[in-house]
Amino acid sequence: MRIYLPIARATFMVGLVYRFGFLFTIIGNVVYLGVAYYLWKSIYHYSEVIRGLTFNETFLYVGVGSAVFVLLKTYADWFIHYEIREGNIANYLTKPVDYQIYNLFANLGSLLVSLLAISIPTAIMLGLVFRVKVAFGIGLVLFPIGLFLAFLISFSIDYFIGLMGFYSESVWGLSITKEIIVTVLSGALIPLQFFPDAIQRVLYWLPFQAIYHTPLMMLTRPNQGLNVFLPMMAIQLVWAVLLFIAARLFYNQAIKVLRIAGG
Amino acid sequence: MRSLAEYLRLYLIIETQYIKARMQYRADFIISSIGMFFSSLATLGVFWVILGTVPNLAGWSLMEMIFIYAFYMIAISPMQILFDHAWNIRFHIQQGTFLKYYFRPLNMMFYYMSEMFDLKGLTQLAVGIALLVYASIQLHLDWTLIRVILLLITLFSAALVQISIIVAASCAAFWVTNSYPVLGLAWKLREFSPYPMSIFDGAFRFAFTYVIPIGFVAFYPSQIFLRPEQVSPLTYFSPLIGVGLFAITYWIWTKGVNSYTGTGS
Repeated sequence: MRIYLPIARATFMVGLVYRFGFLFTIIGNVVYLGVAYYLWKSIYHYSEVIRGLTFNETFLYVGVGSAVFVLLKTYADWFIHYEIREGNIANYLTKPVDYQIYNLFANLGSLLVSLLAISIPTAIMLGLVFRVKVAFGIGLVLFPIGLFLAFLISFSIDYFIGLMGFYSESVWGLSITKEIIVTVLSGALIPLQFFPDAIQRVLYWLPFQAIYHTPLMMLTRPNQGLNVFLPMMAIQLVWAVLLFIAARLFYNQAIKVLRIAGG
Repeated sequence: MRSLAEYLRLYLIIETQYIKARMQYRADFIISSIGMFFSSLATLGVFWVILGTVPNLAGWSLMEMIFIYAFYMIAISPMQILFDHAWNIRFHIQQGTFLKYYFRPLNMMFYYMSEMFDLKGLTQLAVGIALLVYASIQLHLDWTLIRVILLLITLFSAALVQISIIVAASCAAFWVTNSYPVLGLAWKLREFSPYPMSIFDGAFRFAFTYVIPIGFVAFYPSQIFLRPEQVSPLTYFSPLIGVGLFAITYWIWTKGVNSYTGTGS
């Protein structure tokens, strides 16, 4: 822990250098919120409640979803892939650090930057400009835990994709495919409730919904009982542990094929 | 001044070599194409899910949305395939390699953009064409010769609008070096162009029609084919908007190229 915390701090500081970028990301999020507002307004033109969600709940879900999306998008897959292809990974092999833990903490640092610079301003905007209301309930207390577990799952998936750098020349195709599958099947774009029932039942068991749907439900419907949230968090925990171990085993296998040309 | 034919010949030679080089990484090409396939269907998936719960989106049915979406896919393909190098201007500027583009007796934008030909973009084009044919059959659209010509003209201008927005955003690199945030924003806006513009009002509709006219990438021009009786006269000016916007972008590019002094590295 003592050696890894400074890593998170370092990426946090590096992240702050790119302040100019935050402005555009925030503008992007505002435009997205506006578009989502009009889109869902026109969908809710027909009835007050669709699939058990009111307009306010759906918009809160989608709006916070966009803030969480920025938070979890650390580009870890691109970064790790790049380091492997360029041979920079050798720098870590000669040091007494665990590559997976190292990257986990590095991502935690950039997550904190995004949280302060983008997610919190977006959330404030959501409340002040769009006047979205949040109900009270146990879900609000669970939200930070749910978000952290979501981060672990999201990181493990990205790390896994990044490790493909040991085998493939470019990561674009894999990363994009992963991103589309995650965003569409996780509730990041549309609340999971809108999917046909049969598909919903399958999605419930997959790791993707654990990234967005679970924490977002804690905010949109915080007043549900623990009997709803605990099974959801159990699924999160199981995936977080499973994917973490799987990525570890994969790394141990993949590192054997590594060849770095000198120079 | 070289003639258009000469540039065309040159382009073919450059791209043939480029494609040969890329084909060394066959697995990469296949995986990228699969990725492109999925990514081209993502927004459509959203429409599909939404229109499974409500009958229509601001009066537009699922099949009409598929048509608009197909138009969008085809319209953004030239940007993806021919102008993908726009994303790398920032790297060339950062590393000082942009200098080399000044030293050829060629149009600089042509020379720069010709250095990349995005093969995976062809997947997007294919998906777009397939969806357009499918939606046309389902909607019983009557394709007379005039309408086919109109389709080609509107697609050409829509493609110009999209190219202009992305290239103009990438030009930010000449002034601020890292143009990624600006490009990211432009890229995000692109995804909203197949949305029915009629769902917006106030500032959003104004901005998407007159300021950053993404409405002209898909929604407005496809109305000509879906509901010709409802088309506003402005839509018929869309070819002018494409050409006009590209002229502005070319002006920004020229300004940028002339003001670039290097980062000193």
